[in-house]
Amino acid sequence: MIKLKNVSKTYFLGEEKVKAVDNVSLEIKKGEYVSIVGPSGCGKSTLMYTIGLLDTPTSGSVYIDGQDVSKLTDEELSHLRNQKIGFVFQSFNLINKFTALENVLLPTKYLKDKLDFDPQERAEELLKQFGIWDRKDFFPNKISGGQQQRVAVARALIMKPSIILADEPTGNLDTKAGHEILDLLSDLNKKLNVTIVLITHEMDIAKRTKRKIVMKDGQVISK
Amino acid sequence: MKLRNGTYHLIKSAIADFKRNKIRTFLTSLGITIGVMSVVMLIALGLGLKNYISEQFEGLGANLIMVMGGSGLGGGGDEGGGFSGPAGMFGSVIEFDERDVSSLRRIQEIEYVVPTYFKSLSIEAEDNEETGYVMGVNEEFFGLMNSEMLEGNVFDKSDLQGRTKVAVLGHNLSENLFGEAGDGAGRTIRVDNMRLKVIGVLEKTGDREMDKAAVIPYTTTFASLNPDKTFWSIYLGVTSEDDVETASEKAEETLLKRYKEDEFSITEQSEILSTVNQIFAVLNAILVAIGSISLLVGGIGIMNIMYATVTERTKEIGIRRAIGATKKDILVQFLAESVVLSTLGGLVGLLLSVLIVMAIRIFFPAAINTLAVVIAFGVSGFIGVFFGVFPAKRAADLPPIVAIKYE
Repeated sequence: MIKLKNVSKTYFLGEEKVKAVDNVSLEIKKGEYVSIVGPSGCGKSTLMYTIGLLDTPTSGSVYIDGQDVSKLTDEELSHLRNQKIGFVFQSFNLINKFTALENVLLPTKYLKDKLDFDPQERAEELLKQFGIWDRKDFFPNKISGGQQQRVAVARALIMKPSIILADEPTGNLDTKAGHEILDLLSDLNKKLNVTIVLITHEMDIAKRTKRKIVMKDGQVISK
Repeated sequence: MKLRNGTYHLIKSAIADFKRNKIRTFLTSLGITIGVMSVVMLIALGLGLKNYISEQFEGLGANLIMVMGGSGLGGGGDEGGGFSGPAGMFGSVIEFDERDVSSLRRIQEIEYVVPTYFKSLSIEAEDNEETGYVMGVNEEFFGLMNSEMLEGNVFDKSDLQGRTKVAVLGHNLSENLFGEAGDGAGRTIRVDNMRLKVIGVLEKTGDREMDKAAVIPYTTTFASLNPDKTFWSIYLGVTSEDDVETASEKAEETLLKRYKEDEFSITEQSEILSTVNQIFAVLNAILVAIGSISLLVGGIGIMNIMYATVTERTKEIGIRRAIGATKKDILVQFLAESVVLSTLGGLVGLLLSVLIVMAIRIFFPAAINTLAVVIAFGVSGFIGVFFGVFPAKRAADLPPIVAIKYE
């Protein structure tokens, strides 16, 4: 499903060369529920964005479903993100000028081919499933953090992706709302067999996943 | 570039942004509104001026051919394009006589032959005096000019044969001499010690010389005004526009039998009109160029705001990229926004111009033509694309990772 081979990412902070990801190789199989855990600055976010095709490695290769993504054009990468990858962010990243429902539907606007489902119906189904259908016409800043994150998960799921990348999804939520989101994610993994990669700095949260990848100073120290 | 419900989504998205920034949207599109208004208004006024002048000419009848001594309208001596004195300034110019009139009359295509004696003179009534133009013509003149009567009648063939001392006055002359234009009929005027009975007053034509003319039988001028019995010009009229060309060629042929080529000139009314049109085409182009400066300024305003918008919405660009928007999608989104913004401005500018033009039409024949509308829309759309493309390109080229991490 996801395979990284000798992936490194370096960038410059002024004069200083920073190795955010240092020669990482790993494989994540379909249907896995994995956490990448480590202190802040260990390179776990950079690794996630590389897997999510938002960032490109300085060296090494990323394979999604056996395909080397370094050879893909911007347009092909965008389509892959659109159809195979769903993102859930710490700060929700909903677009404030759109309602909850419009946010959930946004990914469907970028599909070039015909959808094999009715977007309105699917959005309704997801929002009902997450218990926020009554909030569909609310703008993101008018609903609670937990509700916003559910909208974000619904948006990540609408295109029926095979991978969900969640970057500290509970970081901006209180404990209760955080647990609800984590329950929701493990539910998705169990019931729909969606591959989930969860980025966190909290061991407690990482413990909930079946597999932990521990990072330190850009390197994977256990996987 | 195909999106599902693409265009609808783009426009909806653009309008959602405008709603959030109402004042900014208003001020930005105001630049284009003013630009489009200035272009459309300048064209409208230019057209109005052209219409005004064309109307003056058309008052003379479109199928008119003017035969003049000298080298014609271009040769000087003409003022206002209407009736005037000898074309040349140097005395040696030929003048026509009744022989020319009868030879021109033999041309089949020509319906009206009007010899014209023209002189600026002081015209007296009982207790008033006014400078006007004495025009010695035949009875066909009124038919050729499509004259309409305010009061009384025109003179006829028998008046010419009898050299009757009668006059038909132009509207303004009659008004100046008698207070009310209509009061002129039946009164008497004095011209060059000759007493003339006013038998009719013409409706206002808008032609300066025509409205200040005392039109009399040309034979009457032979007495003292015009002892040589000559004419400075002869007006020819044809019934159909198609005959203008043939008629003027035949007239030239006829006159060449007696005069040299450079001693007279034949000008068609349509020729003058086309000269006027050419002048106004240039004038219009200059006006449009001046108006375009404000459009340019408006466009720069749009570009400025679009750059600010791109920076402000970097995060949104990152989110859209993460969920699958391509560079092209982002480019089109921002381009659509600037086009919608400028076209909106253009539309308002056009509407305001229409209102203003309708208001000034009361005084002046200003007009909005298709060109103005096309310019308003075309140019404002083009400005949206041209000035929007650089900011949109910047938005599209933002690396997704930089955009999504932007706070």
